[in-house]
Amino acid sequence: MASLTSTTAAAVARPARRRSLAVRASATSVKLAGRPLRVAVVGGGPAGGAAAETLAKGGVETILIERKMDNCKPCGGAIPLCMVEEFSLPLDLIDRRVTKMKMISPSNVAVDIGRTLGPDEYIGMVRREVLDAYLRSRAEAAGAEVVNGLFLKFDAPQEPNGPYRIHYNHYDGAKGERGERRTIEVDAVVGADGANSRVAKEMGAGDYEYAIAFQERVRIPEEKMEYYRERAEMYVGDDVSPDFYGWVFPKCDHVAVGTGTVTHKADIKKFQAATRLRARDKIEGGKIIRVEAHPIPEHPRPKRVSDRVTLVGDAAGYVTKCSGEGIYFAAKSGRMCAEAIVEGSANGTRLIDESDLRKYLEKFDKMYWPTYKVLDVLQKVFYRSNAAREAFVEMCADEYVQKMTFDSYLYKRVVPGNPLDDIRLAVNTIGSLVRASALTREMKKITL
Amino acid sequence: MASFSPPLSSTLPTSLNRVHFSRRNWLCFLQKRNQSLFLAKSIENGAGNVNSIATEEKRESSPVAVAEKKEEGAKKAESLGLNGTVSTSVKAEVPSFKDERWVGGTWDLKQFQKGGKTDWDAVIDAEVRRRKWLQDNPEASSNNEPVVFDTSIIPWWQWIKRFHLPEAELLNGRAAMIGFFMAYFVDSLTGAGLVDQMGNFFCKTLLFVAVVGVLFVRKNEDIENIKKLIEESTFYDKQWQATWQDENSSDKN
Repeated sequence: MASLTSTTAAAVARPARRRSLAVRASATSVKLAGRPLRVAVVGGGPAGGAAAETLAKGGVETILIERKMDNCKPCGGAIPLCMVEEFSLPLDLIDRRVTKMKMISPSNVAVDIGRTLGPDEYIGMVRREVLDAYLRSRAEAAGAEVVNGLFLKFDAPQEPNGPYRIHYNHYDGAKGERGERRTIEVDAVVGADGANSRVAKEMGAGDYEYAIAFQERVRIPEEKMEYYRERAEMYVGDDVSPDFYGWVFPKCDHVAVGTGTVTHKADIKKFQAATRLRARDKIEGGKIIRVEAHPIPEHPRPKRVSDRVTLVGDAAGYVTKCSGEGIYFAAKSGRMCAEAIVEGSANGTRLIDESDLRKYLEKFDKMYWPTYKVLDVLQKVFYRSNAAREAFVEMCADEYVQKMTFDSYLYKRVVPGNPLDDIRLAVNTIGSLVRASALTREMKKITL
Repeated sequence: MASFSPPLSSTLPTSLNRVHFSRRNWLCFLQKRNQSLFLAKSIENGAGNVNSIATEEKRESSPVAVAEKKEEGAKKAESLGLNGTVSTSVKAEVPSFKDERWVGGTWDLKQFQKGGKTDWDAVIDAEVRRRKWLQDNPEASSNNEPVVFDTSIIPWWQWIKRFHLPEAELLNGRAAMIGFFMAYFVDSLTGAGLVDQMGNFFCKTLLFVAVVGVLFVRKNEDIENIKKLIEESTFYDKQWQATWQDENSSDKN
């Protein structure tokens, strides 16, 4: 695994070196006369909130446009420990601390992972509406203007250093549902408006493949809820999803049972029924209180920056494969983008240009590319077929695997272990895969 | 892709409706007179058990239309509030996996004894049967009887004996046949005997290609699979680099 990450890091470093050799006279280091840089952040989720806070703290005049302040996002809601530390989240934001995960294979082999977690280590489960509101309130406290409105479109600048003109529907409780059409002028736009980003459409960022995640929130009886107090479950199998997994995640007072898929979206209901069947004994007697679905991007959009407009979070497509994790990367990319803008504008005194935004892209790509690539490889290897999934669950029983998995998830870093352990892990992985595929070939031969 | 919290009652038949939209149009008017009967029958049938309803009606109507009308009936029943619960309505029409040697979530090796030693072949067969069964009839995973079987309890030499050796024999046979005929062919063309061929670099390259070919191309589909694999391995990288391609081309402008 170590060699894989170093070659991919080298591959990413190459474009950076090429660019720094080219001497480019930046046309804009225009000092803004008498006013700070104005940036509009479209979308008030984790990405938008983090971006707006960092921008406001850096002296940039920020406006955060969010269409639904109490939006209850359908989301797994899992955040890693590093997010709590890096964003100084208060611990009461976290509803539950998941310290045990159960992986269940197609033939119901169940493996508990989490033995290697320390007493202070957990996966935090949050309610999105609570987290999003908190981050927005921090942005507001830092000086950003938080506006309840729906972004409609923007007009590109008329001349090279001209402003972007943003059109949005301002919602004010008094005026009722329709909202009042307003325009503002800003120098840069940060699109943080999620998977169906309108900013992305306006800037011609291109499309991406996406998975549909479908989940039902189920309120189950107390004694069954006790089982899920600190435990989340992952079900893998062709019946549950051909390219993703089904899950049961505990929320504040109910569980979320769901599944997702990229390639067979039309069969999502079938997969959901299969997930409910697999978890049947544990959620029996539960009442469905809400059904929701949302798209999850599979990879970044072809174009993430265009002149002075850029994308962060789900709008850019920063969701990992294999686990489908997006909250942390959304917040982090929002913060990194804002930092690049603050730096490029010398704390809001100069106009920025595309190269400043590209610096943020470069930094983000370089820092997290190994994580994304490794998860992509894991997905390609282990979500391929039922045989691979059986091998995957078998591998999860290994303590070394558990330790590496949690380290890389909770802290977003991989501490290279003992090379002997790595070799043993590689041998065991290959062994598991070979055994599982041998059994699958035999399965094809028999008819029951 | 606007809203993602559809009301419960409309979620059920939407995908089915989309698929059968064209057929539905011209079948619809044929079935109108039977509609009320269908609805009555399906409500009493109970909502949620979608799978078995198509088989019930033996009318002149085609199964597609029947399923569709049943869906509508089921939908109406749902909206009546019958089905807000995660019920066990997906009744197991098929019995769950049972085997007397499957005890406590794993195979009881004592029951696989043959001549005083464990018959690993039989263990493998039993596990194959279990997985096949569960693939066709997935079951709920249970906390009372968790499955803890791990395939690594079967010793490595058993796997080699059963799976690797026959394949190895096959591949070695292919390699030997190819090797013999290629050696003869090259000898007849160039006059170089086997020993001379092995000293030549080009011949050694051919040998290498032949061995790799025999190892990796075992079935006809493998050629396509290898091409797809190579493309797949760099696809994700390309998706991430896409925004940089864009930048390089705008540099040239």
